[in-house]
Amino acid sequence: MYLKELSEISGISGQEKDVRAYISERIAPLADEIWTDPLGNLIAVKKGRKGDKRLLLAAHMDEVGMMVTRINDDGTLSVMPVGGLRPEVVVGKQVMVGDALIGVIGFKPIHLQKKDTEKIEWSNLRVYCGFANKEEAKENVKIGTYVSFVTKFSENGVFFSGKAFDDRGGCSVLMDVIESIDTPPFDTIFSFVVQEETGLRGSAVVAEQVKPDVAIVVETTTAGDVPELEKYRWATHLGDGPAITFMHRGYVVDPRIFERLVSLAQKAGIPFQYKMRTAGGTDAARFARSLYGVPSGVVSIPCRYIHSPLSVMHRDDYRYTAELIKHVVETGEVIL
Amino acid sequence: MSSLTEILKVLTETNSTSGREEAVRNKILGFLSPYVDGHRVDRLGNLIVWKKGRSGKKILLDAHMDEIGVVVTHIDDRGFLRIEMVGGMDPRNLLGSRIRFLNEEGTCGVVGVEGETQEELKQNLEKLSFDRIYVDIGAYSKEEAMKRINIGTFGVYDSHFENFGNVCISKAMDDRVGCAVLIKLFESLKETEHSIYGVFSVQEEVGLVGASVAAYEIDPDIAIALDVTGAFDTPKAHKRMGMKLGAGPAMKVMDQASISDRRLLNKLVETAEKHGIPYQMEVLVFGGTDAAGYQKTKSGIPSATVSIPTRYIHTPHEMVDIRDVENTVKLLNHFCQEAFD
Repeated sequence: MYLKELSEISGISGQEKDVRAYISERIAPLADEIWTDPLGNLIAVKKGRKGDKRLLLAAHMDEVGMMVTRINDDGTLSVMPVGGLRPEVVVGKQVMVGDALIGVIGFKPIHLQKKDTEKIEWSNLRVYCGFANKEEAKENVKIGTYVSFVTKFSENGVFFSGKAFDDRGGCSVLMDVIESIDTPPFDTIFSFVVQEETGLRGSAVVAEQVKPDVAIVVETTTAGDVPELEKYRWATHLGDGPAITFMHRGYVVDPRIFERLVSLAQKAGIPFQYKMRTAGGTDAARFARSLYGVPSGVVSIPCRYIHSPLSVMHRDDYRYTAELIKHVVETGEVIL
Repeated sequence: MSSLTEILKVLTETNSTSGREEAVRNKILGFLSPYVDGHRVDRLGNLIVWKKGRSGKKILLDAHMDEIGVVVTHIDDRGFLRIEMVGGMDPRNLLGSRIRFLNEEGTCGVVGVEGETQEELKQNLEKLSFDRIYVDIGAYSKEEAMKRINIGTFGVYDSHFENFGNVCISKAMDDRVGCAVLIKLFESLKETEHSIYGVFSVQEEVGLVGASVAAYEIDPDIAIALDVTGAFDTPKAHKRMGMKLGAGPAMKVMDQASISDRRLLNKLVETAEKHGIPYQMEVLVFGGTDAAGYQKTKSGIPSATVSIPTRYIHTPHEMVDIRDVENTVKLLNHFCQEAFD
């Protein structure tokens, strides 16, 4: 498992290079072919015993974060979100500005806020790096500099916590699988894609390069299994195993793939759950719209507090997701 | 040869949401197979039929097979279901109507609204959302419900076809009426100069999925999507749009997803005028059709949409005028012969 190392690398949409380098270095010796495409997607091929069909696996390398939009007169920085990030979750957090500068996201202190009227918006948040003035800030920071979370990975009982589990969790699973399999029945393509969080962009060009028959997206998905929400509003529940999706935004999963994923898990005795909300999309929606139409499935690791500086994942959900994906590759049963 | 109303009845009463199009696909193929040179089902489930011509030119005509619906997301300890929408479904349309599920027994469900006080019920009704409604299938426990239905089971409005005077009412006119037009068109096409491809696409309602890829291997010269459009000729209807029921097929200039190719649009209008077919112009301030998918395929396929004016779209009671449907068939029949003249 590479979740600790992968999650601690900064890789906001559009600057996935360090994540890519980390993955590429470790899987290159295991792949029959490996390349980085012009958009930055890392694609590794493991040849199968039969050459007639191709299975595509995909996880996205990018994470949500922020970008500097303005350097203010007082030396503070204004930022905008990159990907789906709410301003409420970043207040008071430590961040990394560019490669080496530490900053803090400030907001009006709680005792100075007018009760119930102060709205946290991107326009009234600032990043404080300790610059004395605009000139000093300009020497160190440019408009367009990325601002990322710095949370370190930790294990707390059965839980992992850290940043960027969405979707380094999926990346780590794909790395585990390519390491642990022998020759699969079908050509299997492991793709680590860019810019998912900003609108499924990297995945738009992957199918064209590898002409797959079926794609399986390995994601990290929201849990929402908190006590304040009634159970019927939970999307997934930590500890119940990988979540198998029947439908999400922009795509109804091919029923044959959905059913085969379920029956593979059942036959192998791997615990699983259904993804119980249909909001949120994945690269599967893009693969279905690529080329001649690539039927796609989605398997996700449930995760609390995604798209925030800290998420929580159950170690068994990770393990069972990796087992299920390995099983998917080794049996080739999702190939239609 | 079945009549237009017979075809409409069969197609609209077949239950097939986005992603579950097999049932309606089989029905369509049943009607069409004597009248086409061949057919195939592509990887996503799009049904593609064709009649070969001599000119080497290819015309693609599209209608989507899927209908909006719901999907089960949760089953509680007492056997009540929670659902979410498949395509653009307003939960208010579910109140007072039934849901028919696409499982083996065809479970019928009744929709209820949460509310622990009169005040709360009133609030929930005013701001109705899928989080505040449940479906009752008459099961008394989770176990009993799970024997009959599962999370991930899709469902549709339980509604039936009616025909009186010039109008037909049913669920899923969007876009089975387009499918019916294509069936009648292929029936009516004799020897064709150009090759005509019919695409019955999947998953339009969740975001034009099938149409984004259906033309990839056909590589047509032009594409026409057939779909419904709003008819706003009812009391105090949307005042910025003027499409009417019974005033002929609507030539779409634009909607939120695409702008029809100007040359195609002109040709369609010219064809209608030449043959004395009534028509109306359409600008729809919301919505989109499969034409947007074809426009973005490969290096871009010139595309347009011809719409059948429809009242009460996305409700269990979508209303069309049969004369509009017949005129759309006529228009396309001439267009298929004359498109490149």
